[in-house]
Amino acid sequence: MLRRTSAWVALALLSACSGGGTGGLPSPTAAPSSPPATVAPTPATTDIVSRVDALLEAEWKAAGVSPAKPATDAQFLRRAWLDLAGTLPPPELVTTFLADPAPDKRARAVDALLASPHFAERWAAYWEDILIRDDVKGNLVDRAAFRAWLHARFVENAPWDRVVREMVAATGKSSPGGPARERRMAAQNDDAEPEAEGVNGATNWVVQYRGGVEDLAGATARTFLGVQIQCAQCHDHKTENWTTTDFRRFAASFARTRVRPVEEKEKGMARAFEVDDGKRGRVGKKATDEAREIATLAPTALDGTELEGDAPRAELAAWITRATNPWFSKALVNRVWGLFFGRGFVEPVDDLRPSNPPRAPAVLDALAADFATHGHDLKHLLRTLCATRAYGLAGGPPAAEATWAAFAPRPLPAPVLLDAVLTATRLDPWLEDTLGERADALRAKMRERFRFVFDVDEAGARAEFDGTIPQALLLLNGPLVGYGSSALAGATLADVLAMQGGDAAKIEALYLRTLSRRPTAEEISRWVRFLDEAASVPEEPVAKTNGQGPLGKIGKKRGWVAKTPRDRAYEDLFWALLDSSEFAFQH
Amino acid sequence: MDTQDKRMTIDRRRLLQAGFGGLGAWLAGRWLATPEASAAEAKPRADACIVLWMNGGPSHVDTFDPKPGTKEAGPFRAIKTSAKGVSICEHLPRVAAEAHRLAILRGMTSREGSHERARQLGHTGHIPNPTVDHPALGAWVSARRGDPKAELPAFVSLGGPSAGGGFFGRAHGPFVVREPGRPPEDMAYGPGVSATRFDRRRAALAMLEDSFEKETRSAAVTERRAVFAQAVRMMRSPAAAAFDVSSEPAAVREAYGDTAFGRGCLAARRLVEAGVPFVEVSLDGWDTHEDNFERTKRLMGVLDPAMSALIRDLAERRKLDRTLVVWMGEFGRTPRLNGRGGRDHHPAAWSAVLAGGGIRGGLALGATDAQGEKVVERPVAVADLFATITSAMGLDPLETVPSPGGRPITLTDGGQVVREIVL
Repeated sequence: MLRRTSAWVALALLSACSGGGTGGLPSPTAAPSSPPATVAPTPATTDIVSRVDALLEAEWKAAGVSPAKPATDAQFLRRAWLDLAGTLPPPELVTTFLADPAPDKRARAVDALLASPHFAERWAAYWEDILIRDDVKGNLVDRAAFRAWLHARFVENAPWDRVVREMVAATGKSSPGGPARERRMAAQNDDAEPEAEGVNGATNWVVQYRGGVEDLAGATARTFLGVQIQCAQCHDHKTENWTTTDFRRFAASFARTRVRPVEEKEKGMARAFEVDDGKRGRVGKKATDEAREIATLAPTALDGTELEGDAPRAELAAWITRATNPWFSKALVNRVWGLFFGRGFVEPVDDLRPSNPPRAPAVLDALAADFATHGHDLKHLLRTLCATRAYGLAGGPPAAEATWAAFAPRPLPAPVLLDAVLTATRLDPWLEDTLGERADALRAKMRERFRFVFDVDEAGARAEFDGTIPQALLLLNGPLVGYGSSALAGATLADVLAMQGGDAAKIEALYLRTLSRRPTAEEISRWVRFLDEAASVPEEPVAKTNGQGPLGKIGKKRGWVAKTPRDRAYEDLFWALLDSSEFAFQH
Repeated sequence: MDTQDKRMTIDRRRLLQAGFGGLGAWLAGRWLATPEASAAEAKPRADACIVLWMNGGPSHVDTFDPKPGTKEAGPFRAIKTSAKGVSICEHLPRVAAEAHRLAILRGMTSREGSHERARQLGHTGHIPNPTVDHPALGAWVSARRGDPKAELPAFVSLGGPSAGGGFFGRAHGPFVVREPGRPPEDMAYGPGVSATRFDRRRAALAMLEDSFEKETRSAAVTERRAVFAQAVRMMRSPAAAAFDVSSEPAAVREAYGDTAFGRGCLAARRLVEAGVPFVEVSLDGWDTHEDNFERTKRLMGVLDPAMSALIRDLAERRKLDRTLVVWMGEFGRTPRLNGRGGRDHHPAAWSAVLAGGGIRGGLALGATDAQGEKVVERPVAVADLFATITSAMGLDPLETVPSPGGRPITLTDGGQVVREIVL
């Protein structure tokens, strides 16, 4: 992602300077006196945005809360980048954006983000975490192939109904095969690989439930419809209408689905599976009694529609994604609202049962209807959410947060935080310089460790802080922030230290790269005092390699440019910025 | 106010938090509560629990439930133990010498034959339920017995992955050490950082945190700061040396065995002595679908010194009375051999072993048939095992907690204490 960033930023800046279309960015040279644009750049979203605003304002009035003040431009830009691109805005874009007087610059920034390559990368990563189970056996699913498939869908902005249909009804081969280690490394990599020929990555979504028709059915209803019908797997639902028979009939649509290995198991090699449907429901020797019964039932959708044709799984996929399906659009809108606003209309986001009513149901209904009307166009939905008044508000008291009258600060999702650290520190060029070909393996290892410690779970992301001691230790002492905050040749701090200008300019540069805002005058003077004090204290000698971890042995050799006590105090300041809550939170 | 009343009050408060949807189940839970359960809660017999988790599912007939003389028994012989009338596999001689302290449950039985589901059951006491994120037993102990001011975490997993904090939150989940017996990762200062410099960094961080906390007034920010403070407390605590077995005398380390599991068992003893109430040590590799005998023998070579040294060591240090040691895996293995000289998953009959903390030693309870296929005497469900463990720990096995969805969840899913093995 990082290598791609600079090229894209250059392109975006170029297009902005040449007058800028909808995909362009605000021009730094725009005259302050130019008449403010009054026409919203995306007329398709205007109606729905004002409807959502009006409904929410009524909600606030009813709850007796007043909305927080509008977020600053810097807050808004950072927020939109983290949500839509999954990374931090480049510092030069922040300053350009802040200098731009045009009133529609927020909408244009959102459009540019939706058009950027970051968008597909972030959204493929986000959905991969939701769609592929954590506990799935490593050798069953080819995460890289699944990511490649998802990525291609987000690149073309495929309508959500098509994406879901392609998963639920997926047939074909799940993986190009090859050495398992390479596939695992590819899955850790940010840059999605291209889709392999003859491979349908979407099948991995089915493959992960191999041998568990009940789980496949439960996941389908829960993920795409927000219906927790799997509760009825064990007993008739106490508060809802589902019975065990309903569940089994629903599951019967998957009874013919076969997941068969393409070749024999071979040590160290990734396995490819072929997914297809047989003529009739079949069960293996080890099948449960439940699976046996499911195989005998007539496939039926949740509203009682019998799926009578030859391909019940494809018919079910069509039924799920119909514009008239009462759950489909709501489930998606609720989940994405939860992601952008810290809490869905309904929580948990995938539990839309009648006895768990939504907050502000009219807003959910309006957004879901609009999403369906616009052909389940994800970018349209995201553009709408970013244009609402609520998304552009600053933080406020918890009472206001509860109705989205204030923006609730929350920890960044782990993959986004990792990306933010890598982007802010620009550790990559130094890694490649120092390690050459081993840099890729090391990056994969760092990502894996980060994911392990942060126990990535997009499905369960919440506004509450649910952090652990190992996470704190990783940030306090771990190599990522430790090396990232060091003045290493080619990395951020070394460049900042080499800048012309005094402390104020350097402090500002660090703020722009981490917090995506300018420091206040008070902050600058506070840090100058900090640097002066630190530089005046005699230093004690320390071993350069008392850290452990993947970078343990290489650090002392190359590229350390911190020479003076003041340089080292800058490292401490940068370290603190990278470990701060303001950096680690969406706010 | 007596104990019973106090509990009722607490439960009433929880009930209100849960909303009225859970009323019926809550009342049912109360009425089913036996006087024994209350008595058990009043008198904790163990302050700590060490679970030796045999990942993959250990073959019961090749370990604690030998079937000498049967066609499928294979090459292993059974040997006598220090418990009268109890024999176990010949490759566990040192464990056999401690058998007078062990209660072997030979009637374990469940219906979960897949690793994921059985692992979840064995860690949480509940079968997987997509709508309730059940906490691991260690998380429950952490939530109820953990001291928020402690310098060490209440739930440590040596070797991992164990199971998570569930609806109690990640803060109660396992503190996973990937290399048992060594200091946890990222506990030492980073490169070029001294204690003084670390303090300077923290002072800089505090400046940023103060203003952001003041500006946002966000509880999440306050909680994050608290977790960071806890991490620093642990880094700098002398008690953290308990993770590191390198300071133990060579003879002690040798007794446990020079293996990750052996070091894990030694670290578990040290952690329990340092006040950690729940430690899990895992030994992986029991999923012997191929070459069962060779692999099982090798694993017993790792298990035997470590488990016996742990129990003996705890006993000699007078800690065994207050420490419950549990040996278990996700299920047993088929007495019948498959075509590759392996044994497959067998949840219908398997063994678990308990020792210390309120457990009567020197007996084998329950029995399987001649082959080890079925339980024919004193079946014990995982829920019963959990009721036994939690009672010994002074937790109420029938404690009901509202899950985030508002549904009441009982700790042990209706298990009964295995009275025959309780002192």
